[in-house]
Amino acid sequence: MSSEIADTVRAGVGGDLADPVFWRAGAIATTAVMLVILAFLTIDSYRYISVGGLNVPKYDVINQHIGYEFNWSRHAAVPVIGGPEPLFGHKVTEAEAADLILKGKFVIQSRACMDCHTFFGNGAYYGPDLTKSWLDPAWPQIWMPMTGKTTREDAMVEFLMRPDKYPTWDRRMPNLRLTEAEAHAAVAYLKWLSAIDTNGFPANFGQAGK
Amino acid sequence: MTPESLLETAVLLGLFVLAGGGYGGLYSVGRAAGRPALIRAGRACWVGALAIAVVIAAATPLGVGWKLLILVSALVYAVIPPVTWRYLERTHSDEGLRP
Amino acid sequence: MYRSQRLSLRYYAAAVTLFGVMIVFGLLSALYYLYPSLLFNVFNFSTSKIMHIDTLVIWLLMAFLGAVYWYLPKELGREVEGMWLAELTFWVFCAVVIVVAAVFIFVQYGPATDFTLWFINQGRKYVEAPRWATIGIVVVMLVFAYNVVATCVKAHRMTGIMWVLALDLIPLVLVYLDAFSYDRNMSTDLYWWWWLVHMWVESTWEVLIGCVMALVLMDVMGTSRRIVETWLYIEVMLVLGAGILGLGHHYFWIGTPQYWLSIGGFFSALEPLPLLGMVIHAVYDAGAHRLKTTNRPAFFWITTEAFLNFIGAGIWGFMMTLPQINLFTHGTQWTVSHGHFAFYGAYVCGVIAVFYVAKQKTSGAAYLDGKAWKWAYGLLNIGMVGMVMGLLLAGMAQAFFGRAIGGSTLMAFTTASENPWFVSGMYARMLFGLMFAAGYVALVYDLVTSPRRIATPALQPEPA
Repeated sequence: MSSEIADTVRAGVGGDLADPVFWRAGAIATTAVMLVILAFLTIDSYRYISVGGLNVPKYDVINQHIGYEFNWSRHAAVPVIGGPEPLFGHKVTEAEAADLILKGKFVIQSRACMDCHTFFGNGAYYGPDLTKSWLDPAWPQIWMPMTGKTTREDAMVEFLMRPDKYPTWDRRMPNLRLTEAEAHAAVAYLKWLSAIDTNGFPANFGQAGK
Repeated sequence: MTPESLLETAVLLGLFVLAGGGYGGLYSVGRAAGRPALIRAGRACWVGALAIAVVIAAATPLGVGWKLLILVSALVYAVIPPVTWRYLERTHSDEGLRP
Repeated sequence: MYRSQRLSLRYYAAAVTLFGVMIVFGLLSALYYLYPSLLFNVFNFSTSKIMHIDTLVIWLLMAFLGAVYWYLPKELGREVEGMWLAELTFWVFCAVVIVVAAVFIFVQYGPATDFTLWFINQGRKYVEAPRWATIGIVVVMLVFAYNVVATCVKAHRMTGIMWVLALDLIPLVLVYLDAFSYDRNMSTDLYWWWWLVHMWVESTWEVLIGCVMALVLMDVMGTSRRIVETWLYIEVMLVLGAGILGLGHHYFWIGTPQYWLSIGGFFSALEPLPLLGMVIHAVYDAGAHRLKTTNRPAFFWITTEAFLNFIGAGIWGFMMTLPQINLFTHGTQWTVSHGHFAFYGAYVCGVIAVFYVAKQKTSGAAYLDGKAWKWAYGLLNIGMVGMVMGLLLAGMAQAFFGRAIGGSTLMAFTTASENPWFVSGMYARMLFGLMFAAGYVALVYDLVTSPRRIATPALQPEPA
């Protein structure tokens, strides 16, 4: 083993390019350096992506108004957290919000939402991206009149429970038998998701025709 | 980025790598088959890659850093085929496997 | 023939079967885009898509395991240690796959509870398999790791390729553990999910197929060990050097800090360079060994792998990897186009070469050639190129109309998906997909029929 190390060092210093030992040293060193950098970047990224971090809001952000506007200093659209606008007209505590979001994620995974839709552009491409779906103008423009509901969240719950009843075009969403509680949790999840800073993805959201 | 420049830039980026790869492919086939005409065609491909890189730098809305990266990699594309080939010949000649 | 090589043939048979299942569900998924009311509320797009991408992962993994079981005794000069365990886990693996597939097809989804994640569907792309099955896959990989390491120990022999392989098994198993994760925060969830998906596909699998290809090159082309190991180290250095931080191109839009835009863009811009080196290497080898090869199909598939890997991962990747472009292309059919091409170039071509190596050995053919493999080769390659071209067209229409002009809302998504460019792209994908499927049939036919004028029996895949 020690002779191998000596070989490695000799080849590394001598730099004999035809010698496998030289490249073995290179492969080990490169991989190690990259892994160390990745570890540091991961630790730093957690300052942004943890709940309550720089880019990901706390779960009780669902009590507030959420907008999405272009920020000139960032050169990207960013979520704008506004005044009180409780979901379903009912302010929740931080713990209640966390429970609701937990349930919402269970809904998203148990129904495999990601195998038709995308979140942050990741998933499948049969349905629209859901990153900012809470802010989609289709809710007030199409589904509130269609479902006869007066608020965005009520229209979303109604749609999610019976999507096959409210088609907007020939590619329809199937009925995945969501209970009312599950639909509530999914809506809460989508509202919270829309408040995450995604470096401007998706771009120009809802800007067409403005 | 306007919708038009989005598609133009993406296509240019693809063509850039294609031209760089064209150089590598034609150069190496030319060497393997002993056909200098193919090596010359490969070099022409590289000139194409360089020209595309210049167009990307001059006419697309990409950031300055990305433009520099592309110009530098155009230069790297120039050296990869001959250097790789020479290296291959050297390693294989040790084994008496020269074609 | 060693006992582990017989196991390897079983793995190949299972892999080829699942390759077929993947194609069937790929065609079905493509059909939904053309006939959206197909099987509506009975068997939805999502289930078909799950079957398509999960069988993709499993068939390639099975082929890799098979390839290692094939070469392990040859490389170390002795039978693989713990064969009975390896044989047992093969059947466990198959049983798990069948049960999971049956649950996906007949149960599909469940209520929002832990039970669903444990027994029906985890709903995370590529790792939808419920948790109990995930445990099964971890056990299979641990047994595989044990086989490799124990055989090396018993043989008192360690080659460079075996070192790389053994070390690669650690991340292969470790990152897979994220398949159990349940995280309510989508940003951290996807952060680690990408470790699994990217580190498997763009790092550990690349190294694994690098090891397999090194063994194949020594076997089929007679390249010397010294050269092959040198190239394997160089490849590992370049693949991991660019690939580990190339992870950054998945961290553009998931809530991660802005510096990932620069890091991810930079390292993925480097990725085409080593791929070009591999093209040149392949041409060199082809020139040097063209007249000596006795296995023409394997030879052609290996050479093709280098070219299509460069085009699929290199060109298709570079088109859309810079953040300013990716902002509009990410999550469109453009991504699908790149994904299909890159997977095919990087893995499928190499794996098919490995199948032909086994065919030559089992049939005892001194020289392997013929007509059927050429049909398979042509139809599969043209079918794949046609598919990715159709998808690229559709993706460009989406990026242009749906994203850049329309602003990514439901209406923008709808408008782009009804655009004639998008629709014709999807029709092209379907047609070339059928051609690809025909190529698969030709491939299976060629693999199971005996070569002409040779009396010894051919590889007969057993039921998976």
